[in-house]
Amino acid sequence: MRTADWIVLMLTLAGIILYGIARSHRSRDIEGYFLSNREMPWYLILLSIMGTQASAITFLSAPGQAFTDGMRFVQYYFGLPLAMIILCITFVPLYHRLRLFTAYEFLETRFDRKTRILTSLIFLVSRALSTGISIYAPSIILSSLLGWDIYLTNIVMGGLLIIYTVNGGARAVAYTQQMILAVVFGGMFLAGAYAVSMLPEGIGFQEALHISGRLGRFNVITTGFSEEGFDWTDRYNLLSGSIGGFFLALSYFGTDHSQVGRYLTARSIRESRMGLLINGLVKVPMQFLILLTGTMVFAFYQFHESPLHFNRVAVDQVMSSSYRDSVQQLQAAHAALQEEKRLLVERLGTAVHSGKPAVRDSSLDALAGLQQTEDALRGDMKGYMKAAGVAAANDTNYIFLRFVLDYLPAGLVGLLIAVIFLSAWGSIAAALNSLASCTMVDIHRTFVRQSAGDARELRLSKLYTLVWGLFCVLVAELATDMGSLIEAVNILGSWFYGVILGIFLVAFYLKHVGGGAVFRAAIFGEAVVITMYVTTELAWLWLNVIGAVTVVLAALTLQGWMGKSAPAVHAPKVLDSDP
Amino acid sequence: MPEDTDKPPLLRSWSDWYLLVLGFLLLQVVLYTLLTQTYA
Repeated sequence: MRTADWIVLMLTLAGIILYGIARSHRSRDIEGYFLSNREMPWYLILLSIMGTQASAITFLSAPGQAFTDGMRFVQYYFGLPLAMIILCITFVPLYHRLRLFTAYEFLETRFDRKTRILTSLIFLVSRALSTGISIYAPSIILSSLLGWDIYLTNIVMGGLLIIYTVNGGARAVAYTQQMILAVVFGGMFLAGAYAVSMLPEGIGFQEALHISGRLGRFNVITTGFSEEGFDWTDRYNLLSGSIGGFFLALSYFGTDHSQVGRYLTARSIRESRMGLLINGLVKVPMQFLILLTGTMVFAFYQFHESPLHFNRVAVDQVMSSSYRDSVQQLQAAHAALQEEKRLLVERLGTAVHSGKPAVRDSSLDALAGLQQTEDALRGDMKGYMKAAGVAAANDTNYIFLRFVLDYLPAGLVGLLIAVIFLSAWGSIAAALNSLASCTMVDIHRTFVRQSAGDARELRLSKLYTLVWGLFCVLVAELATDMGSLIEAVNILGSWFYGVILGIFLVAFYLKHVGGGAVFRAAIFGEAVVITMYVTTELAWLWLNVIGAVTVVLAALTLQGWMGKSAPAVHAPKVLDSDP
Repeated sequence: MPEDTDKPPLLRSWSDWYLLVLGFLLLQVVLYTLLTQTYA
């Protein structure tokens, strides 16, 4: 990094912290601290929802995903818009009218205390671990590419935001997320535009799309069907994205308190709904544009030498293993391929420039053949890395940042590094706020003291935010030494989302089912999800569907066996005394 | 004044929102399919 990059990076990060502090109004109680006195307008809700969902890995991984696998990842979001409407009709009005602090409070009113505490504890454990990993994941990438100390990077990634999150609560989180998104989208747009501007003369945006498309990177819509039928192990296709994505979005936005806590800050039901509905409309096009940046980077690398593996640290590790000779052979084959590719793209450029479509098409076909060989070489390299025990054998998350560091001008590199830090801060700050809120309201008030007075509860809430912040940084520091466990922690979320959604669906729609049945059904559903994960290769999006459906069916069956109907309470009495 | 919790924002009914969202999604699927085919 050059001096200009350091200046841009420091100024951007410092600017966000100062803005967060400036926007922190003094709260008098935990309603002000956790819910910003329920006075936020819809556009802040929208930006807060988006900033909470989009972590650093979103902006590192999505372009890399487009580079290696194409645009089809966008289908993952196809179920989200419909889920937003269901939430707006069912979940949102009930949460608001009950004036809840956390989503899990509702479960005690509807079922019983043990169901509320179980769900809240699942949230606390899974969210804290995944937040720790969302600090560690971008840190390890930055430290590998820039040679930074990983422990220090973890502290900057997960520690500095604690300053404004502890001090300003939900209000500071929402206002900083607004600024963060502006910087993030500005930075991503500049990076994509720069990739296009660095294509050779005569090769514009359209040609870049043709190149990416012919080489299999503009495959936006895929069905998942082949001659053998539907591929249930295929991660991203129209069906898994629409159905699995719908259940995931319903669970994430309806029952994960890091999201519920954002729209509970709205000044009215209408403002919450507006934020969620507009999120449903803009999410797919937004993700399309982020992935498009990756296809532009892919097109760019057709005209510039691309590394066989984008993580140099991982390459050094495999080179010092017993696979050194095999890797050197791969590198030699890759270098020869790059030379062949260089001649072909020169021919392509001339054909485009002089208007010879036949030559252009034959060049693109030949390029597509070379790309298949290159993909196979990259696959072999990863295979050797895995065999050598290299933790970061998959370089998808390194591709975009490698491009940024190698080719973008001074200043813009600093801005893009700031984008990584800030996008991490946006989602981590919301996570800390929600973790502290559940600890205070669901756990502290239940087990320690019902109400300790506004001032004391506020002090405790700030303390819980600080403690969760430090805990998540600690998880990130420990993750540094636990390479292979990282994936397991990431998968943890998909184990629980479906089951938690199932509990909430029973709560909302099956009025005769009581707490005893749903509690047992949740434990059974969890066992089914974990068994499916361990014994099959089912793509993980389907686990959300299986978890939710199993809990609903099991709760119905158990309630039938138990024979005793629960009180037909769809919602507590508070609902009838709406203010 | 209690808020009318059945009334959706901006549009007249939730059916209109379903139509808008599903229509927009369908439009995107068609557009992306065309793009996939055009640039394949």
